[in-house]
Amino acid sequence: MTLSHSSIVDKAAETAAKATPAPIAVRVRGLSDRAIAWLFIAPAISLLLAINIFPLLWAVYLSFTNYRANRPNAVVEGVGLRNYQRVLTDPDIWQAMQTTAHFVFWTILLQMLIGFALAYLIDRKFRGHAFWTTIVLIPMMLSPAVVGNFWRFLYEPQIGLFAYAVSFLSGIPTSQIQMLGNVSLAPWAIIVVDTWMWTPYVMLICLAGLRSIPDYIYEAAEVDRASAWRQFWSITVPMALPFIMLAVLFRGIENFKMFDMVTLLTGGGPGSVTEVASITLKREAFETWATGRSSAFAIVLFVAVFGLANIYVKALNKVKQR
Amino acid sequence: MAEVSLQNISKSFGESQAVRNLTLTIRDGEFVVLLGPTGAGKTTTLRLIAGLEKPDTGRVTIGGQDMAGSAPAGRDVAFVFQQYSLYPHLTVYENLAFPLRSPARRLGADEIDRRVREVARMVRIDHKLENRSTRLSGGEMQRVAIGRALVRKPSIYLMDEPLSSLDAKLRGELRLELKRIQRELGSTLLYVTHDQIEAMTMADRIGILNDGELIQLGTPREIYSNPVNLHVAARLGQPHINLIPAGLVPGGRAPSGTKTVGARTEHLEIHAGNGSANAEIDWIEHLGDQSHLHLRIAGHKLVTLANPYVPVRPGDKITLTLKDPLYFGSDGQRLV
Repeated sequence: MTLSHSSIVDKAAETAAKATPAPIAVRVRGLSDRAIAWLFIAPAISLLLAINIFPLLWAVYLSFTNYRANRPNAVVEGVGLRNYQRVLTDPDIWQAMQTTAHFVFWTILLQMLIGFALAYLIDRKFRGHAFWTTIVLIPMMLSPAVVGNFWRFLYEPQIGLFAYAVSFLSGIPTSQIQMLGNVSLAPWAIIVVDTWMWTPYVMLICLAGLRSIPDYIYEAAEVDRASAWRQFWSITVPMALPFIMLAVLFRGIENFKMFDMVTLLTGGGPGSVTEVASITLKREAFETWATGRSSAFAIVLFVAVFGLANIYVKALNKVKQR
Repeated sequence: MAEVSLQNISKSFGESQAVRNLTLTIRDGEFVVLLGPTGAGKTTTLRLIAGLEKPDTGRVTIGGQDMAGSAPAGRDVAFVFQQYSLYPHLTVYENLAFPLRSPARRLGADEIDRRVREVARMVRIDHKLENRSTRLSGGEMQRVAIGRALVRKPSIYLMDEPLSSLDAKLRGELRLELKRIQRELGSTLLYVTHDQIEAMTMADRIGILNDGELIQLGTPREIYSNPVNLHVAARLGQPHINLIPAGLVPGGRAPSGTKTVGARTEHLEIHAGNGSANAEIDWIEHLGDQSHLHLRIAGHKLVTLANPYVPVRPGDKITLTLKDPLYFGSDGQRLV
């Protein structure tokens, strides 16, 4: 059976080969399927190598040298692990890491709470829920540059709407509401903006999670006399958990690298209270021009994010398999 | 356990009327099967009793009490869904215990444990109590779903095609088990299916639904031998009942006004062909213990069962006569 089948295929292939014009046939016959497959993916792979992999490897190399990009003609010397040693013992860098951790923690916490609550409300399919979903999603669709700039205006103590609204509600004079200039308020100003912008994204992922729970599970629970509270904790949360965890992962990685919003709003100030790791890195690399050391710092950051993400993904898979 | 009764229930979803003026009483301890094609309103009927849907008109009473305005939780019903509606992140044990942990019940941990283990034994899942419910085979999942209904000891069990997603062998086994469990517990059970074998083998009474209407209610034997119309006659019987124009096949005594004759295997007599042969054997399907004979008579095709040892071959001429078949008028109603 299989023999006769393959002989039919062979015959068809032979007929096709005979019908192919000679010059094309010669060229095509010389290539195996594998070679053709490689030809197709080669452009994408070479692009990836050129703009992702090569710079990464080059940064690894630079992190072991004293290279300075503003002195391209100076002799480059290997310095062993000294750059790493300095990065890991520099109190400013540790301060920046702590600031970053603070941002990541609070933005994720707020975005998850508000995002999940919004998703839960929108999932109820009330009148006009499609309209409100679109409205809620708008901040996410704006460019971070636009968001950063217009929040700077909103936070403006003299003319800003934010200061005006707070002053109107609390009675504190607007001149004292210095969101970006006050040492204790500035970190929160950035957390507020990031939460405003990215909560819709978290909401979308949570909504996908909620929509994935079939109605009949809730109906079964209702017949089983589970209260709304119990349904929430024993069905909604556990079944949406993989999605929530995914949202935490995405936002965590993004906010670990937070740069644009901080640069636009505070530039790391006042003093260095909002100086997150990526800002310190940029200063080291393009203001101090310590290219070797900043490369080492970048590698440290990369390994930290990559390692944490890996551990997290393992946990996520465990939750999914339950 | 309790008597459940539906009075003049109607329910529509937008333009489509799912249930029309349905009146049905399920007696205490009775196993009633609702049989009908897809879209006949079977599932809607169950959901109306459970309180998952509200009727447009009519009353649902459970144990004599009007259920209007009471939520599913207040009705003391158990529901087995067509899909395995298990709580996926819980173990088999936790799934079975879930309904018992409702604060409305106030059961002690010992009592819960005792009942879970008892039911697990009954549905034969006691060896997998600690497994995650997602790590079970289809049959095991559905046994857990049935078990979760059984732990409750409610007024009525509502089951919506619980066996339809299982393979034939398992379906046969679970069918027997369900019937055994229902008998042991003496429970009131309303069961929905489109499988006539399930209906015939398990039901005390069968209700035939079509297009939202209850067409006939009776014991399996009544429904099979005395169908009220063509639709009911066509629901039961394997092979399918033969519907032939009156006068085509000799024999029987057709009342006046007969348009269609319904002939099942037991209504057809076959004699080896001699001078009076009126039909021809078209094809024979050998099923092993019996054979399906495909006959042709004056351009009409008939199917009947035959003993596999009857010496006939395709192309043989035979004499076909009727013996007390079912007669139907031009409106499809049965004529007696």
